[in-house]
Amino acid sequence: MSPQPKGRSQSRAEQEELLASRLRERRVFAIVAAALVVVFLGAGIAFQSWRTSRAPSAVPAAASDSAGFAPVTLTSGKPILLGRANAPLVIALYEDFHCGHCADFEEEFGPTLAAAQQTGTVAVELYPMAFIDDGSRAASNAMACAAEAGFGQGYYRALFANASLRWSSEQLTTLAEQVTGGAPASFDTCVTTAAHADWVQSINTAAAANGVTQTPTMFVDNQRVDIATVTPASLNTMISEAASK
Amino acid sequence: MSRTYQRRHARVDKAAPWLSMFARLVLAGVLIAAGLLKVVDPQSSVQAVRGYELLPPTLETAVGWGLPFVEIALGLLLFAGVFTRVVAAAVAVLVVVFIAAVVSAAVRGLTIDCGCFGGGGTVGIGQTEYGWEIVRDLGLLLLAVWLVWKPRSRLSLDRADLEELE
Repeated sequence: MSPQPKGRSQSRAEQEELLASRLRERRVFAIVAAALVVVFLGAGIAFQSWRTSRAPSAVPAAASDSAGFAPVTLTSGKPILLGRANAPLVIALYEDFHCGHCADFEEEFGPTLAAAQQTGTVAVELYPMAFIDDGSRAASNAMACAAEAGFGQGYYRALFANASLRWSSEQLTTLAEQVTGGAPASFDTCVTTAAHADWVQSINTAAAANGVTQTPTMFVDNQRVDIATVTPASLNTMISEAASK
Repeated sequence: MSRTYQRRHARVDKAAPWLSMFARLVLAGVLIAAGLLKVVDPQSSVQAVRGYELLPPTLETAVGWGLPFVEIALGLLLFAGVFTRVVAAAVAVLVVVFIAAVVSAAVRGLTIDCGCFGGGGTVGIGQTEYGWEIVRDLGLLLLAVWLVWKPRSRLSLDRADLEELE
């Protein structure tokens, strides 16, 4: 007689017992899976907490970016000038240091702009708006402090290169150390006391007055430019056309 | 019961595991993509949650950081096809919460991007896409509800017979 399939040879009671044990196994497996999901979630939150509160990473190019740019004197409601005062083309940028699209913009166009700023073709008028969170305000204030101390351009690029950080005072002062190799003590005080909080507020007001409701917004030679339609190449064309005028 | 009904019924029974597999994989893909796009940018993710103005600040941070991992976990479970019915029910609840949040944002006149796939936060007036966002979520909800109803599917790790017994 050939062997019968396993299931058939079992009695009904045996089958029910087998089913019950499978269901028990399944329940244990479910608990393990649920626990794994919870652990995964916890580890994820811990990971993001670490990622936003760790020290900034150094930006090698940032140190030389500010070379030759004069320290900035802040005026209420007026932007920070990054570049040489006699540059033929002025590009105004409205950005929030915690705006994801601004970080993307900076990644895509930053090198083009920085090169033009270095050669003296372009000066950037920066409106570091702060409307997203406390980190935006702290970073905008620190940006003003850095511009005053003469390393605004390098600090600007380093801020966006580390855009995933939450921007505590400690992170902001560490970043300055990395950009300058030794920021003045007055910078640290400027950051920890939020010395330019009123100026930051005045920039928000100025942006609203200029009709800017979202970031990033770019004006090239006082003309609003739809960033979605611009590429680094077309921006370069605009820059060289303006420079040859 | 007429014979045509029975025949049609048999055909549905035959097609259901394939439809369920389709639903499972589409949902899994959408969840994993949505999670990954948000995981890479924790700041934006928190801002997207903040945009809804529904939660206290501490919870906004926790949801902004944690939700993408929940989406990825649910997506992976669906992809593997384990505990399909339970996971699909959890996804359905999540999608209902998303729809409610988007509807409430629209009703309160907020102008935000849903932040469903990264991004999020305030957008200009006239740039909101609440209608499309809700339609998309309703589609996902339909898939999840289908899976709760018919969790047996092809290419899954589930012991489908046990799934339906529980």
